[in-house]
Amino acid sequence: MSFLVPCPHCGPRDVYEFRYGGEFQRRPPPTVSDQEWADYLYARRNVAGPAKEWWYHRQGCRRWFLAVRDTRTNAVLEAFWPEDKPEGAG
Amino acid sequence: MDDQPLLGGALRTRLGRVDGPGGLAGLAGWEAARRLAAEVEGEPRIQRLQTATAFGVYEGLLLGVMQGRRLYRVRPRQLIVATGAFEHPLVFQGNDLPGVFLGTGLQRLITLDGVRPGRAAVVVTNADHGWAVAQDLLAVGVEVAAVAEARPELPPAAEALAAAGVKCFAGATIHDARGRRHVEGALLVRLDAGGDPVAGSERLIACDLIAVSTTPEPAGALLAQADGRLGYDPALDAVVPQALASSVHAAGAVTGLSDLGFALLGGRLAGLEAASALGLGGGEASRMATLRAEVEAHRARLRRGLRVRQLTSVPSVGRKRFVCLCEDVTEKDLADAVREGFDHLETLKRYTTVTMGPCQGKMCHLPAIGVTARLTGRGMAETGTTTARPPVQPVPLGVLAGPHHEPVRRTPLHARHAALGATWMDMGAWKRPLLYTSVEAEVRAVREAVGVIDVSTLGKLEVVGREAAAFLEWIHPGRVADLAVGRIRYRVMCDDAGIILDDGTTARLGEDRFFVTTGTGSLEAVGQWLEWWLAGTGRCVHVADVTSAYAAVNLAGPKCREVLARLTDLDLSPGAFPYMAVREALVGGVPALLLRIGFVGELGYEIHAPAEYGAWLWDLLLDAGREHVIRPFGVEAQRVLRLEKLHLIPGHDTDALSNPLEADMAWAVKLDKPDFIGRRLLEAARARGLRQRLVGFELLDGVVPGEGDAVVADGRPIGRVTSSKWSPTLGRGIGMAWIPPELAQEGVEIRIRSAGRLTRGRVVVRPFYDPDGARLKS
Repeated sequence: MSFLVPCPHCGPRDVYEFRYGGEFQRRPPPTVSDQEWADYLYARRNVAGPAKEWWYHRQGCRRWFLAVRDTRTNAVLEAFWPEDKPEGAG
Repeated sequence: MDDQPLLGGALRTRLGRVDGPGGLAGLAGWEAARRLAAEVEGEPRIQRLQTATAFGVYEGLLLGVMQGRRLYRVRPRQLIVATGAFEHPLVFQGNDLPGVFLGTGLQRLITLDGVRPGRAAVVVTNADHGWAVAQDLLAVGVEVAAVAEARPELPPAAEALAAAGVKCFAGATIHDARGRRHVEGALLVRLDAGGDPVAGSERLIACDLIAVSTTPEPAGALLAQADGRLGYDPALDAVVPQALASSVHAAGAVTGLSDLGFALLGGRLAGLEAASALGLGGGEASRMATLRAEVEAHRARLRRGLRVRQLTSVPSVGRKRFVCLCEDVTEKDLADAVREGFDHLETLKRYTTVTMGPCQGKMCHLPAIGVTARLTGRGMAETGTTTARPPVQPVPLGVLAGPHHEPVRRTPLHARHAALGATWMDMGAWKRPLLYTSVEAEVRAVREAVGVIDVSTLGKLEVVGREAAAFLEWIHPGRVADLAVGRIRYRVMCDDAGIILDDGTTARLGEDRFFVTTGTGSLEAVGQWLEWWLAGTGRCVHVADVTSAYAAVNLAGPKCREVLARLTDLDLSPGAFPYMAVREALVGGVPALLLRIGFVGELGYEIHAPAEYGAWLWDLLLDAGREHVIRPFGVEAQRVLRLEKLHLIPGHDTDALSNPLEADMAWAVKLDKPDFIGRRLLEAARARGLRQRLVGFELLDGVVPGEGDAVVADGRPIGRVTSSKWSPTLGRGIGMAWIPPELAQEGVEIRIRSAGRLTRGRVVVRPFYDPDGARLKS
């Protein structure tokens, strides 16, 4: 029905306040092969387990952050600003 | 939370004396229930929610609770489930006849509704509770014609009934219910050791009521949803909780044992454990350990005293042997399904819909397992259980959806439009004037004199910062960095697949300060898009949504300069304030931002002023324009005007496959720039060649086609119309359409199928009106 997302700014809030921004991935340099570019545009890992994702607190602080969510249970294990973990958690 | 109006659970429906602990001993069940409820009601620290059904446990122990039309979402840190148990019906021929009841159902009728449910009853049971039901029936004056006990020996409770003259049969049960429209009799039969009926043992008993009272089936769905594990326990002949999640506790009959003393003790322990897990006390460890041992001892004692005989159906034939009364699934249906290969309970459930009705298996879960076990020759435990999913009780969608809130956004000029009698249209949450008088009059005013339209709904973003120019340059296919201060440029924005997301204008107010407008509906997406690409980069760029801070109007038409000149000291001459320039100035004493742009294709000024002065400015403009017969115009006229200029609207004329090259906006894409968002696929699209093109068309005959109508060739669709209007300026129907690139040349004839008829049109690639923009730039 819903679950809580711990916004790094506003604290745990109902998921309905957020916009899901998709899996975290890096934009590859423009020199990569067509296949790699196509993967960046269209291929998603879609893991069953902890996944690093973008979330936007639409009805709150209006900021993008990253969260590690277990896609099997919707438990958000960790949420942080992208600048705080430049290399990310995976 | 209790789904009943009064506390007390099943105890409320019992007439018999309880042999509970201490002060409760000797009270009737309903009296004991009152006593216990009063204790809870007298405790101010307990908040009660009655007539409130906890219908499901969701992620993170979220509890959905429905109370009437109200929905509560409860996130307990500790959860105690005491949902009790249900009896389940037996499967026998005629078990859907009116007059066949569950024992607990009869007890509810007797105690809660004051109903004497029949004249003569036959009680069919395999549990002690059936004998209590027989007692309650006697107590309200129902004759008990017989009690059929499936277990081989009569329990001690039988003595009192036998003494009252009730026929009691051990090792017997019902074979079928007799009667045409209502129960008229019960055919009882003896069971052999294997559970099969003994031939020749049938005995017909006349009655108008059949009470079926079986081993209680724990209402464990919530426990299962809360990550507990349920399984069949042969000692109890029930599916019971076998493991619970760490923050979940169970007490009472839901654990599989129905006994008042045990329920009270178990409830006490569950409460103390929950409180101690929350750090709210709960007593010393030694006291808890003692209590735990006490509960276990009680449990062991109860289990030792259990005498069960598994009974879900009596083997026989017949078409009216219902397993699932909600979904009308009979034993024969299950047998057929098993024969077809659906011999696993989970597939059988989906194939036959057994347990999938409104009661969600409360009644038929155990019978379904029992029948399947027999049909497949597997044991009850091996047959397994179905998965309990929310909701455990039907929930109206309206309760889940919540109250109907439709937020409306009104512009600062809303009251002025209402006073003018505007016809409204919805654009997202916004209300916009569609029309004030007639499209023709409004279009003519703009083309020949002056008009004004409320464009406050345009998305407005301020993008500021040392790196703002570089960022905007990178996120747009067009150029931004070389834009001079005081100048404006059209902007189209794409994603990295080269698909058009939005368009608008970029005005450079300072070296590090930009005023960016977006489409009415795309503000949120564009703002978030910019923020997303900035997130974590540390770039010195700030994006502020100033949409509702400004009221905005577009003053347009050949006379608009004269009107505006009356309200401002700003030099409006084309040399001082040319097309695609931006100025900050006072208009009517109000600080305003003026953008000289022209969506509608005339000399025009987009004036942005603080929202609180919007109405004041509007009044001044209408007043200043009176001499030139200024007219407010609505969205309908604006759409006609822009179509005469072939200005596209993203999302209306474009879709998720449209790139700007094919949308005839190659001029807004600078592929000679280094990397930018969308570059790679736009480059690829250019190399590949255009697959479709967005062009204008004018009609040679027929009616104006609808938006979405097909462009056809040889009877097959080759494109589609995205916009179409009657142009009062040109005196004919015009529009925009996607067509194959080879047809995208001025003058090519196309056919459009509209309302079942073919209409002829001619491709137009240059704007219909003022193709060189002379009026815009005047």
